[in-house]
Amino acid sequence: MKSEEQNTRRVAIVAGGIVSPLGFGLTETLQSLQQGRDCVTPVTTFSVEKTRCKTAAQIDDGRLLSNANRRRQERRLHRASYMVMTALAELLEHAPDFEPEIAIVGTTSGGMSFGENFYRTLGNGGACSAALIANYPPQKQIVDAMEKFGINAPAQVIANACASGTNAIGHAFNAIRTGRYRRILAGGYDALSELVFVGFDSLQAATPEKCRPFDSNRSGMVLGEGAALFALEEFESARRRGAEILGEIIGYGISTDNHHLTQPNPDGSGPRRAMEQALAQAELKPNQVGYINAHGTATVLNDTAEGKAIMELFGEVPVSSTKSMMGHSLGAAGAIEAVVSLLALQHQFLPPNINFRQAELSLNIVANQPRDAQFDCAVSNSFGFGGTNATIVLRKLAR
Amino acid sequence: MSLSIAGMSWVTPLGSGVDDVWQQLVAGEAAPVEILENEKNGARYLVRRVPSSTPFPSHPRLRRASAISRFAAAAGLTALRQAKQPLPPLDRIALVFAISNGGVIYTRRFYADIVKSGAQSASPLLFPETVFNAPASHLAAILGISGASYTVVGDGAVGILALKLAEDLIASSDLDACLVVAAEEIDPLVCEAYRQWRFLRDPKKPETGRGMIMSEGAGAVLLERSNGGSEIDQIVPGANFFRRSEASARLGSVVARLENEIGFCIGSANGTFIDRAERVAVGDEIPLYSPKIALGESVGASVFWQLITAAKALETGTVPGSSKPPVNSHALVLACGLNQQTGGLTLRGRDRSAFPGSA
Repeated sequence: MKSEEQNTRRVAIVAGGIVSPLGFGLTETLQSLQQGRDCVTPVTTFSVEKTRCKTAAQIDDGRLLSNANRRRQERRLHRASYMVMTALAELLEHAPDFEPEIAIVGTTSGGMSFGENFYRTLGNGGACSAALIANYPPQKQIVDAMEKFGINAPAQVIANACASGTNAIGHAFNAIRTGRYRRILAGGYDALSELVFVGFDSLQAATPEKCRPFDSNRSGMVLGEGAALFALEEFESARRRGAEILGEIIGYGISTDNHHLTQPNPDGSGPRRAMEQALAQAELKPNQVGYINAHGTATVLNDTAEGKAIMELFGEVPVSSTKSMMGHSLGAAGAIEAVVSLLALQHQFLPPNINFRQAELSLNIVANQPRDAQFDCAVSNSFGFGGTNATIVLRKLAR
Repeated sequence: MSLSIAGMSWVTPLGSGVDDVWQQLVAGEAAPVEILENEKNGARYLVRRVPSSTPFPSHPRLRRASAISRFAAAAGLTALRQAKQPLPPLDRIALVFAISNGGVIYTRRFYADIVKSGAQSASPLLFPETVFNAPASHLAAILGISGASYTVVGDGAVGILALKLAEDLIASSDLDACLVVAAEEIDPLVCEAYRQWRFLRDPKKPETGRGMIMSEGAGAVLLERSNGGSEIDQIVPGANFFRRSEASARLGSVVARLENEIGFCIGSANGTFIDRAERVAVGDEIPLYSPKIALGESVGASVFWQLITAAKALETGTVPGSSKPPVNSHALVLACGLNQQTGGLTLRGRDRSAFPGSA
């Protein structure tokens, strides 16, 4: 196959599913985004007595687990599995015939809290059930969710820290674009855990205050959790079978910043390379982008580097970090924010960057309130530990 | 598409030179078994460890890094050095990393501080090393790879999924080569999990062969687009199994999809249910050898040890512990994880003198 032919396939989003602190499903998510809802609440699942940060954006377990406890085997699963099941159920409701050849998903910690339970039980001289151990590994959640719905496809689980979800969708996009696959289930998931929460607290990357991305007085991130999935399909294949096409992925960029294990190069060169690549693949000029869903963790270092790169490359294009509303869900973040970007395109509005008070950079921040807008393309950024930078470009389907 | 192996390397409990370890495998030698004790509960585990005399590269990124990153760096650098053709520019080489348990030593230490002394005692130096992609990040920094880098997680079959990702990357016109690395380190916490899961060999009855012996190390291969040399013909990530009794059928499906005539199989048998599942899947006629018998179960790294073993078997015409493979045959590398994943690939040999890793 010639490379010119390989690179001409378009990639359609034919269905999506999401659960996050913003809500269960696309409709609730849209409502929360349009309301600029702050979903950050006090942490209740583990002790935060000795941490600086005491809050996170969390999914209500009562609701999450209510529909998933019927089978004995399911009762043993990690709550991250229930998140993936919830997202997959919504996706399949809209695309019941979708049969992926492979699942490409991102996560950072899988069933981490089961690992914590294992360690604590061991310290108390106890023995754990095999189910606790078996349900801990990071691929288990997607594999179990697929099993529940009768899908038995291989699962390629990408763990590129906080860029995992975007890397998964981006790689899936490229795999369809180059003709390697026709249908891929792509997305990401992560559930809140004590180890990760304390980890970010120990780095003083988590804030005891409100999460204020790109604000001159920002003081750090808050964590979140959730799962989001896309059904991606080769465009012509989807069109031929009459599938509803929600939008397209049209570009992907990935770069590795070798400056430091946890700190981006302050010159913003890593994020910039990822964004430039994604634009080049999408064959777009920066001014053809109408919205940027920034990584925007509200840490001093990320927002300075990302803000600089956005400013230099995109100038006045509107930017928001929706992590201000729903926290940072790590491996799920890129997938959730891809869904947010798709909703913004479909409904022609710009989701707000809440808790914003004072600008530091000359960015066009969508401050505190959503805006109506007319635009065709959106960019979604994710950057992570290890220097991974990932950007995807989404396009509204022309009517 | 076919992929050429331009370089390969491993760090194992039997040593780290490809040819040296290979000769030991052919001679029927096995890595020494040590006892590792768990301070928490006094449990004892049989383990095979990378020799303390193993040389590792020196780099500022590795000063505080855990053993897993050192293993990976040693294997990755050696695989690159082995390439006989000039390497493509670094921005046209991707890094793909396979991992299962990951940086568990620092993860345990980090969480132990939280449990013992409270969250305020948690070390900001340890936390970044607990992240799955920390070893890949260190290796990318050491090599200067600034483009695509992916860490793939999964069970003992994760190596197949990582190799598939590498194949998909190379299929695009954006890249010319992919360094695929896998590594694991041993820690009592992981051993205890497998013990409670009833997969480990009883240290009081090591001679039974039942149950696995954990090990550590790394493997690396540098893959390029097919150039007519030694090639991976097909990579097939298999379907998942949900009960152990399903494993042989899933593996059988993988074998059926690998279309070439298979002369021998380098499998993933480790003393558990996998042994029988693999034998059923490949049948009684095909010679089957698992390097885990001699090197131990390195989980995420194991597929790479199998792949290198298969490549050396094709190169030398010898399968350890078995008869010679048929002329012009293909090698099957079959992988079955302990926790649902399966996969396989076929490898075709090339002219012996040109084969990477030969003396």
